[in-house]
Amino acid sequence: MASFGWKRKVGEKVSKSAVQQFEAEAEKAPDDGGKQDEEVDWLHAIKRRREVLLEDCAAKSKRLKDEGAVLAEQGRHWEAIKKWDEAIHLTPENSSLYEMKSQVLTILQEVFPAVKAAEMAVKFRPLWWEGWQTLGRAQLNLGEVDLAVRSFQVAIHLCPSERTLWQEDLLWASRLQKQHTANNDKIRQEEETKNQILNAPELEQDYDFESDEVLAACVAVAERETRYEELKRTAVVMDAEGNIKNVLTGEEGSEDTVTPSKEQFVKARGL
Amino acid sequence: MQVEVNLSGYPSTRTKNMSTQYSILFKQEHAHDDAIWTAAWGKSEADGTETIITGSLDDMVKVWKWSDEKLELQWSLEGHQLGVVSVDISHNGAIAASSSLDAHIRLWDLESGKQIKSMDAGPVDAWTVAFSPDSKYIATGSHLGKVNIFGVESGKKEYSLDTRGKFILSIAYSPDGKYLASGAIDGIINIFDIATGKLLHTLEGHAMPIRSLTFSPDSQLLVTASDDGYIKIYDVQHANLAATLSGHGSWVLNVAFSPDDSHFVSSSSDKSVKVWDASSRACINTFFDHQDQVWSVKYNSTGSKIISAGDDRAIHIYDCPM
Repeated sequence: MASFGWKRKVGEKVSKSAVQQFEAEAEKAPDDGGKQDEEVDWLHAIKRRREVLLEDCAAKSKRLKDEGAVLAEQGRHWEAIKKWDEAIHLTPENSSLYEMKSQVLTILQEVFPAVKAAEMAVKFRPLWWEGWQTLGRAQLNLGEVDLAVRSFQVAIHLCPSERTLWQEDLLWASRLQKQHTANNDKIRQEEETKNQILNAPELEQDYDFESDEVLAACVAVAERETRYEELKRTAVVMDAEGNIKNVLTGEEGSEDTVTPSKEQFVKARGL
Repeated sequence: MQVEVNLSGYPSTRTKNMSTQYSILFKQEHAHDDAIWTAAWGKSEADGTETIITGSLDDMVKVWKWSDEKLELQWSLEGHQLGVVSVDISHNGAIAASSSLDAHIRLWDLESGKQIKSMDAGPVDAWTVAFSPDSKYIATGSHLGKVNIFGVESGKKEYSLDTRGKFILSIAYSPDGKYLASGAIDGIINIFDIATGKLLHTLEGHAMPIRSLTFSPDSQLLVTASDDGYIKIYDVQHANLAATLSGHGSWVLNVAFSPDDSHFVSSSSDKSVKVWDASSRACINTFFDHQDQVWSVKYNSTGSKIISAGDDRAIHIYDCPM
């Protein structure tokens, strides 16, 4: 039986000294003993080593994940994230790692990285409602109310029996969304009134200064200014049932402030 | 007759395909601005026109006319505040019903594109909607395991059937009007006798949510689709399990029976649409044309076409051999 030898492959481009050194080492190796079976087939040996490595990745990732969870429970959030990042490096498609990381990043107020992590979680496991819930919560923290409402809807569509999704997440997010739109409407209204004050249509025409027209135009301009002032003084507030109202804030000109004492107002958290 | 009318404008190679093999006939890409969750196919009794309705996460219900082998957008119905979960068309093809995550069921006039009624089903209490065979009622499941029956004319809840179970995801009337079946999130199937309102059978069919179920046109069989990836066929009268079918690689999201009792079709999170032979219970064709999960699949009134729609925002129409 012909034995395997490196000599046969040595070409002109291989330096002689290197070959000699290699051969010397190759002869030494079997003398070490105990590793007889490894020289049987190089190919298989390489393959086997890789399998062993793969198993190690999964197991190590699991261990790191658990360690991270323990750290997170103890409030050592950054250390937990470090563990999970290591685990993600080993098993890059494990969505629960991203999801847990997102939750902890949210606690740490790292709002944008939290969204990024949750996005990875739903990318690798799109049918997992908890991933979508975490994504929605992260998006809400970032102020992306519309995106959050969408994520919560996807989560509910996957698992409609989950009450917290309906009662906490979606309800809250759509309330914020409503308020958001109301606020935008008000800002637009204010802008419009302001524009009308600056370029009042009454000032564009000529008047006979002795007629009543001038008086009427002045009254109209004055009325518009009061309206603008009033708009500036009000704030969009939502009551407990989610109805939106414009209420006077009462900081200035408090004499005509209608005190909303009879109703309970819920002050929405800043976007 | 319908088929001949459709054939008239087509080259001979196409007409051959239509009668002998399954093929994709039409794609409407970007039919909505977000995922399409539900679709229905109806035919008007008055003028014979075919109408397709789709409901989406973008809060919209869209009404499409199917004519000359093309889809044409007829109405975009606005009103729902949140994603549209389920749509159905009355059996005379005049009215559409839609339910949304905003807890409202809305009725629409398909002729004018106007809203007829809006019914507040109560929070978490509007999921799958289904017209009764006489189209006088709409059934929908609720989170406490009750099947609520709304009157189309009255716009109010008329009565309810109690499964004493969990959240009801899917509802189906038997075409003969005798039974109503519901599928719950815990995999339990309930079959009611409509005349007496009594619960006839409770089947522990699947261990996971049942997102869709459908009766065969002769009302003898009930087909169920579940997140466990299986499709099950039950004999309705004896409540026997007749067959368990595997083939989908993920959740089975929707099933629909062909009007001639011979086939049914299923759609899945594995992005495929499968056509099954009802007697041999074998999968005879798989469409792999969608880019994402396929939430809804339906037959047209003759069984010559299938519609599917899903997360990729596309509507596909397939040809079926007759």
